[in-house]
Amino acid sequence: MVGALIVWVALLGPLIALLAHLSPSAVVDALRQPGAFQPLVTSVLASLLALTVILLVGTPLAYLLARDRLPFTRLWEIGVILPLLTPPLVIGLLLIFMAGPSTPIGAALSHLNLTASDTFFALVLAEIYESVPYYVLGAEAAFASVDPELEQAAALLGDSRWRTWRRVTAPLAAPGLATALAVTWARAMGAFGAVLIIAYHPFGLPMQIWTTLQETGLSSALPFALVLLVVALPLPVGAYLWSAHARRRF
Amino acid sequence: MLVADFEVARRAFPVRLSFELEPGERIALLGRSGAGKTTTLEALAGLLHLTRGEIWLGQCRLSAAALPAADVPAGRRGVGLLRQNPGLFPHLTVIENIRYSGGVTLATAAAAGSRLGLGALLGARPKSLSGGEAQRVALARALQAKVQVLCLDEPFNSLDRPLGLELLQLLLREVNEAGTAAILVTHQLEEAQAFAQRVGVLDRGIMLQMGDPRELVLKPATAQVAELVGYRGWLSSGDRKMALHPDLVRPLSGPDEGAQIAARVVGQLPQGARIELELEAVGRWAGRFRCLADRPAQIGDQMWFAAPGAPIFDTDGMPSGD
Repeated sequence: MVGALIVWVALLGPLIALLAHLSPSAVVDALRQPGAFQPLVTSVLASLLALTVILLVGTPLAYLLARDRLPFTRLWEIGVILPLLTPPLVIGLLLIFMAGPSTPIGAALSHLNLTASDTFFALVLAEIYESVPYYVLGAEAAFASVDPELEQAAALLGDSRWRTWRRVTAPLAAPGLATALAVTWARAMGAFGAVLIIAYHPFGLPMQIWTTLQETGLSSALPFALVLLVVALPLPVGAYLWSAHARRRF
Repeated sequence: MLVADFEVARRAFPVRLSFELEPGERIALLGRSGAGKTTTLEALAGLLHLTRGEIWLGQCRLSAAALPAADVPAGRRGVGLLRQNPGLFPHLTVIENIRYSGGVTLATAAAAGSRLGLGALLGARPKSLSGGEAQRVALARALQAKVQVLCLDEPFNSLDRPLGLELLQLLLREVNEAGTAAILVTHQLEEAQAFAQRVGVLDRGIMLQMGDPRELVLKPATAQVAELVGYRGWLSSGDRKMALHPDLVRPLSGPDEGAQIAARVVGQLPQGARIELELEAVGRWAGRFRCLADRPAQIGDQMWFAAPGAPIFDTDGMPSGD
């Protein structure tokens, strides 16, 4: 019990230290500086867009993986885990090699008026690559926890595949999906390594923290760190509490 | 009418069956674990494709090996399936589970639930139900799907025996009232006899015999069927084997009353109000068998028995000529 308490306090230590060094007025003052609010808006918008893409692409993929409906399932899983195992800085470098302006993909993107370097699009791309494994792996586990016999029961009662998914699979996987989505949101909001390489501009919150730290020091960067936590954390914590409550009901 | 004549491939052996089911008729398929009973039901319910043959329900071809893409999908072929695992949707209440099939009104579902003794549980979630209650909900839900044929895959096997038999009676009442034809698979003869108008004995994917539930016990077609319907005593004489059913062997007070078998008592066990004697045949027939008696006996006592109509088989397990 005491050991567990020590570990718990140690894990919360950085957050406690941050709160101990900050007053609410310091945060307000920091956000009142000219241009200080824009990185927050940029980060939220980019993360929302990244999350939407991840949700649309990752959900079917996670379901197919959970139900072994794809050939060579392990190979697909390795593909999903790879961005998780690759250091974020390396992801950034590889994204330049893959989709930078001088590559065939970059050329194709330019026809759509998109550039994967120092643009809002590049920021979204970097956030997707840094956070997508968290969603797909979490969602795969959520779908795998739904008993396939229940899906079969729904089919036997006349449901089509889509109706079964909507009425049985999705509601039962919802607590796990919510947790996966919330973790992904936190990862996307905090994406830094790949962003540093391919999307230094436009400034998101993590870049703002980094540059402020470089230019004016730790005390100036701390308020922005708190803002990032305040924006990134409530969703995961809320999702965790809701999913724990929903699991108890089932 | 359901007409099934098909083969389904399995790893160990294929299941090859041919049978018909009249509207409202109840049949049971009896067999050991792995005999192909569940495979049969899954093929009927549309969960498996056929490797040969066809399944028809009235004028509608449900499945055909030649055209699997045209199989009527599960849930739309008028065939329901109730399994041992009730498979209730845990996020829905009892009444929502019963109403799961489209077009079931709240009042109809509530009435169906009440008829099965679930009136007080309609708002409960499956997590809080006992095994018997969960099976009642599953039964109510399956009946609300308005199927013409209800397949029952040992639905009450995980429940204790008295409760299982009580639910079987409930099931019987419900399918009778709804006029639904039903196929029960089970490995318990007692269950099959209590439920079905005809019983088929299945072994290694083949129907060995199908007929009247009592006739099946009195006249098993092969030694294999005899074994599956409860013949536990096997006596041999030369190349012939006599099968003895504990219920069909009668102890006599002496050898002059038409005794067919003489035997010595080698053991005995109380069996309800009666005593089950374990006996070793002496004389023309050799081997061990059991018999229910009204009184205990002394170990080593010699007794005489009649076994009228006891089937005799040859070494291949087929009925012997004499």
